[in-house]
Amino acid sequence: MDLKKLMVITAACSMAISISACGSNNNTGGNAAATNAPAESATATDNAGAGSDNAPAAGEIVPEEGASLVIWESKEERQFAEEISKQFTAKYNVPVKIEEVAPPDQVGKLTQDGPSGLAADVIVIPHDNLGKAASASLLLPNDIFAEQTKAENTEASIVGSSYDGELYGYPRAAETYALFYNKSLVKEAPKSFDDVIAFSKTFTDKAKNRYGIMWEVGNMYFNYPFIATTGGYLFGKDGTDKDDIGLNNEGAIKGLTEFAKLKEVLPIKSGDINPDIKRSLFNSGDVAMDITGPWELAGYKEALGDKLGIAPVPTIDGKTAITFSGIKIFTVNAYTQYPNAAKLYAHFASGKDSQLTLNKLIGSVPTNNEALKDPQITGDPFVSAFAEQAKNSQPMPSIPEMGNVWSPVNAALPAIWDNNADPKAAMDKAVEQIKDLNNGASAQ
Amino acid sequence: MQRHKTRAGILSAIFMGFGQIYNRQFIKGLMFIAVEAVAIIYFISNLARAFWGITTLGESPSRLEKVKGIAKMVPGDHSIVILIESLITLLFFVLFLIVWYMNIRDAYKIGAERENGRPSHTFTQSLRYILDYKFAQSFLLLPGLGILFFTIMPIIFMIMLAFTNYAAPNHIPPAKLVDWVGFETFRNLLVLKSWSHTFYGVLTWTIIWAVLSTVTTYFGGMLVALLINQKGIRFKGMWRMLLIIPYAIPQMISLLLMRNLFNGQFGPINQYLGFFGLDGLPWLTDPFWAKVTVIVVNMWVGIPVSMLLIMGVLTTIPRDMYEAAEVDGATNYQKFRIVTLPMILFSTAPTLIMQFAGNINNFNAIFLLTGGNPVNGNYQYAGSTDLLVTWLYKLTLDQNKNNMASAIGIILFIIVAGFSLYNYRRTKSFQEEDMIQ
Repeated sequence: MDLKKLMVITAACSMAISISACGSNNNTGGNAAATNAPAESATATDNAGAGSDNAPAAGEIVPEEGASLVIWESKEERQFAEEISKQFTAKYNVPVKIEEVAPPDQVGKLTQDGPSGLAADVIVIPHDNLGKAASASLLLPNDIFAEQTKAENTEASIVGSSYDGELYGYPRAAETYALFYNKSLVKEAPKSFDDVIAFSKTFTDKAKNRYGIMWEVGNMYFNYPFIATTGGYLFGKDGTDKDDIGLNNEGAIKGLTEFAKLKEVLPIKSGDINPDIKRSLFNSGDVAMDITGPWELAGYKEALGDKLGIAPVPTIDGKTAITFSGIKIFTVNAYTQYPNAAKLYAHFASGKDSQLTLNKLIGSVPTNNEALKDPQITGDPFVSAFAEQAKNSQPMPSIPEMGNVWSPVNAALPAIWDNNADPKAAMDKAVEQIKDLNNGASAQ
Repeated sequence: MQRHKTRAGILSAIFMGFGQIYNRQFIKGLMFIAVEAVAIIYFISNLARAFWGITTLGESPSRLEKVKGIAKMVPGDHSIVILIESLITLLFFVLFLIVWYMNIRDAYKIGAERENGRPSHTFTQSLRYILDYKFAQSFLLLPGLGILFFTIMPIIFMIMLAFTNYAAPNHIPPAKLVDWVGFETFRNLLVLKSWSHTFYGVLTWTIIWAVLSTVTTYFGGMLVALLINQKGIRFKGMWRMLLIIPYAIPQMISLLLMRNLFNGQFGPINQYLGFFGLDGLPWLTDPFWAKVTVIVVNMWVGIPVSMLLIMGVLTTIPRDMYEAAEVDGATNYQKFRIVTLPMILFSTAPTLIMQFAGNINNFNAIFLLTGGNPVNGNYQYAGSTDLLVTWLYKLTLDQNKNNMASAIGIILFIIVAGFSLYNYRRTKSFQEEDMIQ
């Protein structure tokens, strides 16, 4: 009871403060820091037409007095978080503590710990988890910086950062997969999957464990091109209609028939392919091509040096392959004690310079339009290849029902690949299961 | 001066401690009064909310409200937190009722003593009585409270979850409320086609796995133990050491390695078979062979345990029994069947049942080796080698179907507990403590 009152009072107070902060000039350290706020942000809002009249302008928001932030970051990208936090603390005088949590686990952890006030203030999630978190009101919308975020980032990343018509995320990187190939084995990157088959027939030798191409054939994420390129889709045309599932329509079946053809050159059970094995074979030159994401880039570069090439995913049935893209986004915990400081951090860490820093440290693909034009990106053949592929990609749907798709489809793909199941029958079953789950399998 | 006991009892029922004061036990009385005072203050502010919470599980979820274009969090009722808080309050209330009953009984008893002409104890006498005669109870009071709140309370809470609709995507707090749904979860699990098919499939495999894994490891262990114990076997210590190694390596490491060993295409095992011109087997990718693989690997892990156990038993079998058997002209096989086997079974039957119950929930062997795969398109979130316990893990951690998982947990408990009890009561070692005839 008392706790509730306290919450209401704090909410009221912080509202009052944030409103008064627009006009009055209270002598806080934060404010002093805010006076040398970046000029670029002010101009950017001007460019955006300073859209919303009633929201305070982005340049004037200051962190709460005595604010300190906790952020979650993946182990691999901790270096980046440390770097950015240092800059943020120097600029706004707000201390930041980093805790390691893998991005796919963050929403689950937030669901548990958010309401009890134990979660981080700013979290980093793959955008397909956004619907789950936003529909559970665990996140504060990106409102103060909305205009700026929309103006500065790519269309796909904004779609990925939004749920139900509301912008929640501050996009920081786009992630999709492309075709890695070994230049010493493959003269030029194959244009179509027919070329892939033609080449592999000359290279694949099951007895010696040499394969022309290898990718995770049992995982929908990597096999989405075989569904989407020829006209299949997940949830409606824009990934928001849970009742319009196009995984078993004519187009998808056509693509999956092409998928089944590839078995001839990769005669392995789907369960026997795992990332570790694939990595070691590609590094040793026993696999000539691998469809995978930028997270393998650093290791492959080290192993193959200048023999490594990256090309877009080959065409399917004469059409440009459409891949799945995941946007990594910052979001702000709705239960944060310092919403202003948290929003400032998320905005700061997803800005152009921060994205370039992330690229330098990790090799990510930026979502910021200006960062994409930066010579640091355009001059890097690998990153620009991913950026190219990202243009022909669809962000994964972020509605909560997305969680119901993986398991049935990841069961259907091995059925097609391992047991020669008819694609139509296998996908019909998967769609039926997804629908069951969407309808709660029992009004759950 | 009769009727002391009734008066004291009634007074204590009206307000704790009054009866004790009537019995001239002032310090004890004041302590009871203090307890009741604290309880009243606590329950006035909490009890009504606890009853409201446990019946409704909250009424208004949290939501975001826009104020001047800025979204603000408006905290509402978090059903699960309310459930736990209410549960704690109600447990306190039950404890209070117990204390209240004890205080009435105490006043009544002391009153009865006074009627019989014995004066009430002074406070020091009472203390001494507690420390001398009720020492065990008073000593166990604190651990008992700890167990109540740290063991029993969570178990009750988890059982309660099975009767709610606490599941993704539509009933995950704080934005959504959770409601009581009675036995609907169990009905879905046992009757509704989409769930029951998976449930019965996984249950069947769980039982098969439990029986096979227990039998194979137990008899495998027995075989190895007998072999090592044969006369004429040299380097007994070395054999023992070699066989114990699989048990000494953490399963986490050995099973994850096995995963790669058994890889159908690149695993060393199939590579060797290929070397001899044999086709490899789909160890982990075919539903049937994956089941065989987990049983075989589990033997490798489990045999050392049984071996140690049975070696210990073998040393306790009296020599003269074998000598008597030899005098009667028994063959080696007869000696084993009539002397060794019954003795071993007699001593290890309870352990065998423990192993069986443990195998029903053998999470490590399955999760680390196959992760429940190969995937099975006909199942809901379960693979061909998933046991109920690993399926439960997937439902909770990957899918947030908490109520389903809780219901499965309850069913698992009933199976394991029921089976273990029934069997344990039937073992000879439980029925008769003396030797078998």
